Order: sequence, then C-alpha cells, then structure tokens
Amino acid sequence: MEEKKIEIEEIREGTTLICKLSGWLDPNTSPEFVARVDVEGVKSLVFDLQNVEYVFSAGIRAFLIFQRKMEAQGGTMKLVNVSDFIRSIFDYAGLAAFIE
Amino acid sequence: MINAFNLWFSRQSLVQKLSWSILSCVFFGFLALVSFISEHSEHIIKSQLDSLAQKNVQNYVAEISGLAADTEKIVLNTRNSLNQISENDVDSIKLLLTSALKSSTSSSSSFNFNDAWIYFFAEDEVAKGTLYVSKYHDYSIGFSAEKIDNFYAHFPWFKEVPKEEKIYWSEPYIDQETGRTVITCLLPFMFKNSTILNGLAAISVDLTNIQDNISKFSFNEKGKLLLISRSGLYVTYPDPGIALHTTIFELAEQLNLPKLSALGKDVLSGHSGMMNIAVDVKDFNGNAVFFYAPVPQLKWGIFLIYSAEQFFFPLHKFRSAIMLALLSGLLILFSIISWICHYSTRPLLQLSKIAEHYGQGNFLEDFPEIKSADEIGILSRTLSNMRTNLLDYIEKEKNAASEKQRSQSELEIAKQIQKSALSVDYPQHKAFQICSFMEPARQVGGDFYDFFFIDKNKFAIVIADVSGKGIPAALFMMKTQALIKSIAKQEKSASEVFYKVNNELYIGNDTCMFVSAFMAVIDLERGIMEYVNAGHTPPFLDSGNGYKIMSPDKNVLLGIYKDARFTSGSLQLQSGNRVFLYTDGVTEAENVKTHFYGENRLSKILLQKSTTPSETISLVIKDIKKFVKNNEQSDDITMLEFLYTGNSANGLTVEANNLCLPEVLNYIRKDMSAENIATEKQNNMIVAAEEIFSNIAQYAYKDNGKVDIITAIENGYYTITFKDSGKHYNPLKHKDMDLSLPPEERPIGGLGIILIKKMTDLQSYSYANQQNIFKVGIKI
Repeated sequence: MEEKKIEIEEIREGTTLICKLSGWLDPNTSPEFVARVDVEGVKSLVFDLQNVEYVFSAGIRAFLIFQRKMEAQGGTMKLVNVSDFIRSIFDYAGLAAFIE
Repeated sequence: MINAFNLWFSRQSLVQKLSWSILSCVFFGFLALVSFISEHSEHIIKSQLDSLAQKNVQNYVAEISGLAADTEKIVLNTRNSLNQISENDVDSIKLLLTSALKSSTSSSSSFNFNDAWIYFFAEDEVAKGTLYVSKYHDYSIGFSAEKIDNFYAHFPWFKEVPKEEKIYWSEPYIDQETGRTVITCLLPFMFKNSTILNGLAAISVDLTNIQDNISKFSFNEKGKLLLISRSGLYVTYPDPGIALHTTIFELAEQLNLPKLSALGKDVLSGHSGMMNIAVDVKDFNGNAVFFYAPVPQLKWGIFLIYSAEQFFFPLHKFRSAIMLALLSGLLILFSIISWICHYSTRPLLQLSKIAEHYGQGNFLEDFPEIKSADEIGILSRTLSNMRTNLLDYIEKEKNAASEKQRSQSELEIAKQIQKSALSVDYPQHKAFQICSFMEPARQVGGDFYDFFFIDKNKFAIVIADVSGKGIPAALFMMKTQALIKSIAKQEKSASEVFYKVNNELYIGNDTCMFVSAFMAVIDLERGIMEYVNAGHTPPFLDSGNGYKIMSPDKNVLLGIYKDARFTSGSLQLQSGNRVFLYTDGVTEAENVKTHFYGENRLSKILLQKSTTPSETISLVIKDIKKFVKNNEQSDDITMLEFLYTGNSANGLTVEANNLCLPEVLNYIRKDMSAENIATEKQNNMIVAAEEIFSNIAQYAYKDNGKVDIITAIENGYYTITFKDSGKHYNPLKHKDMDLSLPPEERPIGGLGIILIKKMTDLQSYSYANQQNIFKVGIKI
C-alpha cells in the first residue's frame, strides 16, 4: 500500500491564511503538517478539509496546536468542508466548536 | 533405344501419335504383303524355272543317250554280221562295213556318223591293218596297214580298249582328217569258225552338231549348258581353249571351287541333282544354280548353269518400284491422316485448353457446344456437365466451409460461455479458501464445478460430470449447473436440492442423459458440512491427519429416476480441514500405454503437504501431466478443493512502527470490504485501528517488536485483535479524558482511547502468554 501523504495548498490574503489539505492526518503526516504551515502574522486561519480522508488523534492534536498558536497571537482558526465522518471524530473528541 | 522411342512418342501430339500409328500399321501391312507376294512369286517362278531347267537337261540327256544307243546297236549288228563271215571273205566284209555306215547314217538324221572301220588284230600285237569307210570319201572303202604304234600315235585312247567282248566308248577327240569332234564306239569280233578275237568293229560319231546345239542353247539369257565326258573333260564350253582340253576338276582347281569338283564327281558317278555354287566368273557374279544329270550310256555328265539373281532381277526391280510407290502413297496418306486427325481433334484441342483453365481454378468459360454425336461431342457435353456440377459443388463447399467456420466460432463462443459459467472468482473469506480447475477434453466439456454463497453463512460447493461429451453434454451441464444454483438458493439442504434438481432434469430428458454430482453445503460459522453424493466419485477429506476417501451415502445419478430421494451426510469441519472434489477425468487420465492415473497416484500426491487449495490443485495438475506426458486428453479433468479455516480468522503480523500504519489500515479495510461491512462502520473501525496501532507503535516496545493483527467475524461482530509482546498495558484502564474541559485545556494524550471507545461497539483487553491482547469489534 502506498504511503499516505498530506498535501497542503496555502492561499494567503492579507492576514487570512487558507490551507487546502488533502490526504491523511496520522502520526506520520501530522508533524510535517504542523511544521510546514507558518501562521505568523495570521489573524484568520482556515483549513479546508474537503480532500482529507481521515483525521486521527494525531491530526486532532495538530489542529489543537494551531488553535493554541492562533489564540496566542489573537487570531482565530476555522475548519471548513468537513465530511460527516470527520465531523463525528471531532464530535467524539469534543472539538466540534472548531468547525464552522 | 526402346525407352528413347517411348520418350519421343509420348512427346508427340495426339494428331502425330495417331498419324504415326496408322502410318506405321499401313506401312508394315503393305511391307508384309509385298514381301509375301514377292517371296511367293519368286518361289513359284523358281520352281517353274527349276523344272524347266531339269527338263532341258533331260532332253539333252535323252538325245545323247539315243545317239549312243543307236551307235551301240549298229556296232552290235556289225559285230554279229562279222561273226557270220569267214576271215577271207573280204568282199562281204567291205559290203558289211559300207552298209553299216550307210544304215547308221540313215537311222538318225540329227547326228552324223563320221566313219566306220574294222581293225584286224595281228598275232604279234601289230595291227594287220584297218579297213575303213568314211562318208567324207563317198563311202569308199580304204585300207591301211599300219603298225600299232602309229595307230597309238593317232589314237592314244586305243591302248585302253580292252580285248573283251564289251562295248567301249572312246573319249571325244578331233578327227585329224575332218577336224570334227568325234567319239568312237568299239566292240571286238570273231570271224566265222575263229576261236580268237580277230579285231574291233568301230563307229565314230560326229559330235560337232551336238556341240553346236549345246553352245547355242540359251536359258534365261545367260544360262549355259555344259557337257563333260567320262573323265570330266569339257565337251562343250564357251571358252574354246577349255573345250576338249580341260577337265571340270582342273577348272575347279583353277577357280578354287571345290564344290564344282564335287559336282563333277557326283554327276560322273551317275547322280543327278541341283547345287548352288558361288562363282565369280563372267555373267555369273554371285550365286549360280547348277542342275546336273548323268548320261548313263557314256557315263558322261551334263549340267545347266544359270544365275537366279539374274533371273529375278526384273522381279526385284518391280518390287522396288512397288516399294517406292508405297512410300509415296504413304507420304500422301500421312498428310491426309494428319489433316483428318487435326480436323477431327480440333474441338478436342479447344476442350483441352478450356480444361486447362479449369485446372487452374478458372471456371468462367463454358465449353463450346459441340453438336457432333461422336466421342468428342459426348466429352464436351460431359465436361460441360462436370463444370456445372463442379461449380455447384464449389458453391456448396464454400457454404459448408463458412458453415463450418461459423459452427467453429459458435463452438468457441460456447466454450467461452461455459468457461464464464465456471467461476474462478474465488471469494476472499476468512472462514475458507477455495481453488478449482477444469480442463475440457474437447472445446466444450461435460464436467463442471461450482461454488457459491447460499446466504451469508452458507457456502455450497459442487462437482459434477455429465454423461457424454461435446455440445449436448455442455448444454446439459449448463442446465444442471443453473438448476443446482437456483434451487440451492431456495432449498438450503443439499439432499433437497438434489431431489428437486433430479426431477427437473428428469422432465423431458428423452436423450436419457444423466449427471453424477457431489454437493456440499458448509455452515461457515459452525463448520458443519452437509453433503450429498449422486453417483459421483467420493471426494477426499483431510480432517487433520491426511487425505482419506470419504464414504458418503450412495445415491442414484441425477436425471434418471423420477422422485428419487437423496440421502445426505454431515460432518463437523475443524479449522484446517479440507475437501478435495474431482471427476473421474483425473483418475482416468491415460498415458500412451493406456494406463490410468488412478486413485493411488492421486492419494500419494495429496500426501505432499500443501498449505493452500491452489497449491494442492497445481500439485495434482503437475503430477497428472508428468504421468500422461504427450498423450491426448481423453476426458475432462475437473477438481476443486475447499479449505475450511473457520474462526481462525485472517491475520497480519507487522513491525510495531508507524511506518507500517498504511499497510495495517489497508489490510483491515480490504478485509472489511470482503466481509461487506458498511462504509461508515469501516471508517470507524479504521480510526479505532489507527489509534490502537499507533499507540502500540509508540509505547509498547523500547526498540523493535511485532504486532499481530487478527480480523474475524464472531457472534455477529466484526472484530480486530491486536497482539503485542511489549510493555504490559491495558488501555481500557486509562482514565477517560474530561471532555467538558475546553479543548485548549485538555491534555493531548488520551484522545485516542476516547475515539476507540466511541468508534467501536466492543472493546476487550487481556494479557496472556506475555502478550497484550486488545480486541475491538463492530456489530454487523
């Protein structure tokens, strides 16, 4: 089986950063994801999960990290285009508030 | 030579062959006829010629003989008269002598008597004298008294005259006085009252006339008549140097003709006959025919010579002329025959040209209509019919060929359909593994196997062998297979399935085909196998200690008896048990020595421990091929193996490393798809599995270690069990995270176990054999 990757497409509009994600967010891909997305000076961080297959706990932790970063610099984080399945994962983790 | 002729003849055209044949027949016929006529006429002429020659010779013999006889008569008379006269009566003697000559002269007109004389012996052997009379002296009587020696000088032959009372003929000689050729006849006499021979009475005959006659004789232009005297002296001969000088023997020696000498001897010893002598003298180049006859009184010989070739020359000339005429006639005949043949075979030539086109496959041109009633006309019509028939035939052949091709391709399609009817799509199921094989002996076979789910938990396997081969068997096979499959979906018991199938097959089975079949229905969850055998070869069963032949209840074949009942058996399969089904095509596979592969070989090869059904099947196939070698397959070969794995679910062992995560998740997802787990449940299971595996990968081992992942269906749950030999850890004892806290305040760890609990319906943990065993499940 091919190794699942996370692909990130970043669109910056002023202080808004939109990240279109595709792939998996598992323990292997999540650290890369956290490292690659630079949120410095970003007031509004938006993650588009339309092409994301799975978000495991490692992925959730990654989003929690971004949430903390945004809080620290007075910004907000939102998840858009979340499938029902992924939404349920966030639900189970008590993190439905992140999703728009 | 003959071969060369045959070769030449075979190369000639029909016209030439006919011409040459007719011509040679005519030629040889004529040749034979001409030869026959010529030979025959030659023979007739020759025999006539011979008799003519003989006649001529005989004439002369008679003439000379007559002359001699006359002479002898006169001599005898004279002697008798002298015997009556006394010695001294000279007048009477003279008178007698004269009358003797005169009477002799008058007695024969054709021959001349030269003279007559009386010789008186003296006592001292000296002639007393001779009283003679000659017609050349007017018959006047002369007397000469000469000594005997003088007499001998004139007549050397006189010495030879014997003094006996016997007629003696002299050799021919030239009379010195007259110069004519004469011979003398002598006879001794005694006077009256005398006691001794007193002298000789003699008459000389003039032969000149005879000589002339003979010389003038002509026979067949160049034929010659020759006369020889007692000593062989030629009395007549064309060459005057030879006549009266040379004997036939001397001439034979001169000319080196021993045959001539033999002829002389023969004729002088009183024989007559004919002789062919090759001579090389003037007028007689080549063969001369000699007819010869003796003159007995004189002991002379006479012969006639003529050249046969000379005689037949005109005949031969005539024959040559006829031959020439024949040849020119033949030449004309040849032209006429050639023309006739050419004319009459012209249509044949035309036919042969068209036939040649036909030979090259070009049938476009029809034969010209030849209306003649002869063989050529018949041939033309026959060939025309043949063309029509051929065209029809070709048309039919074409249709038949395309028909054959069509049926071939139809057969090919039938094969494809049949093949597609035989499933090779082996289901991936944790409770069993299956593999099958079917190789028809022909394009389509009568064997089949089948396997299918009756429902989620019941799996059926079937093997069957339809009687017969080819399309009928294949059709019956398809019918049987469809029946079994469709009826099995309603009737879950194998024996009931066969009962119904049998009745269905029985209806309208006018061709009395039948099927031997074995069917087993396996309860996958409980491992109970119900099986029924309708006259089929019992399968092999491996229940843990090697393959053994099963002994299922015997039942009748399918399709024969209406309402036949089929009794089934059942047994409990344990994980790892397997059933090997096959048709008799396996055990009855033949090698070139017509030995069967047989059950023994099959059970022996099954002893080799194979791990999977596909391995078993390929082992058996290899073994059969090794046995059969190149021999043509005589029957369909079909087999199927079913391995029950039961609850010993599928599994995977990997390194406890997050790098193996994709492999693990992929495996699980595939396994769930195989079990037809709903997508959302699959997703939940994936999330749970990810959490469990990544947790083990992160915490269980200090360094490296393994994780066993086992999936199974148990009691209505799809379960995944994770086994690791790492640090003893029960995730279920982990204190649940307080989800009421705001996210940012929650600890990062502990989220995984929450997700696991939320996503799955069953979680259990146990620690055994120093292994952490964590099982999660979802209801199905």
